[in-house]
Amino acid sequence: MPTNPTDFFNNSYVLFFIKAATLILLVFYAIFALIIIRQVDLMGKTLKTNVAPVVKILAIVHAVFAILLIFLALIIL
Amino acid sequence: MFPSYIQNPQNCSFEGQDTDEKILLLLRAHPITNIPWIVLSIIIFFIPFFASKITLFFGLDLNILPQTYLLIFLIINYLLVLIIVYEGFLNWYFNVYIVTDKNIVDVDFHSILFKNIDVAPLRNIEDASSSMGGILHSIFNYGNVFVQTAGTGQNIDFISVSKPHQVTDFILDEAHKIHGGGN
Repeated sequence: MPTNPTDFFNNSYVLFFIKAATLILLVFYAIFALIIIRQVDLMGKTLKTNVAPVVKILAIVHAVFAILLIFLALIIL
Repeated sequence: MFPSYIQNPQNCSFEGQDTDEKILLLLRAHPITNIPWIVLSIIIFFIPFFASKITLFFGLDLNILPQTYLLIFLIINYLLVLIIVYEGFLNWYFNVYIVTDKNIVDVDFHSILFKNIDVAPLRNIEDASSSMGGILHSIFNYGNVFVQTAGTGQNIDFISVSKPHQVTDFILDEAHKIHGGGN
């Protein structure tokens, strides 16, 4: 029996699966963002330039944003 | 703003640099080598504009998804763009080749958290050669520089650097100065 796509996305199990997959993806992304802070720190220590502190601040802001996004997704999905 | 060929760079030092060691030349890959990740990020940037049309082609209407899901997917898409641009820039900016008045240093970050630094003393340099082949290389004047060191020491390769012939000449001149041969 063919399924109507609208019914497919209205199915609570499907939406729960999408929500879980999205959250897992965002958690991995946040871990990745934290690793990038370490990477940038390592790079900044290896080559010390005027740009290194700016890049490090960007990495921290990015990681904070990635973590906040998990909470946003938890709330609105 | 971010040059790839800098002679006597100011406010710049590297890990392991001696107090009396001076950086003479700082090199990065030519900016044109960044084109692949720039193109990729532009393509991903525009995906949301065409996503609904593409999915409609496969018989799936994205608009029936709740708006909150679409919003999160949109944010994830632009995070992906951000991370491609950021990682691309980091890899380009921090992968450097340095010529000091004592050593040649090759700093490589192959992947996240993997660092490789090759150092060869200028006095050990036996030969340096450069190669430039291909349309893009000729147009933008970039190529590879191969520095051969004495003994079993690892050779150092500068990949896709600007003005490769000039770099080769510069390295050999510095090596001759160390050996007391002048230019």
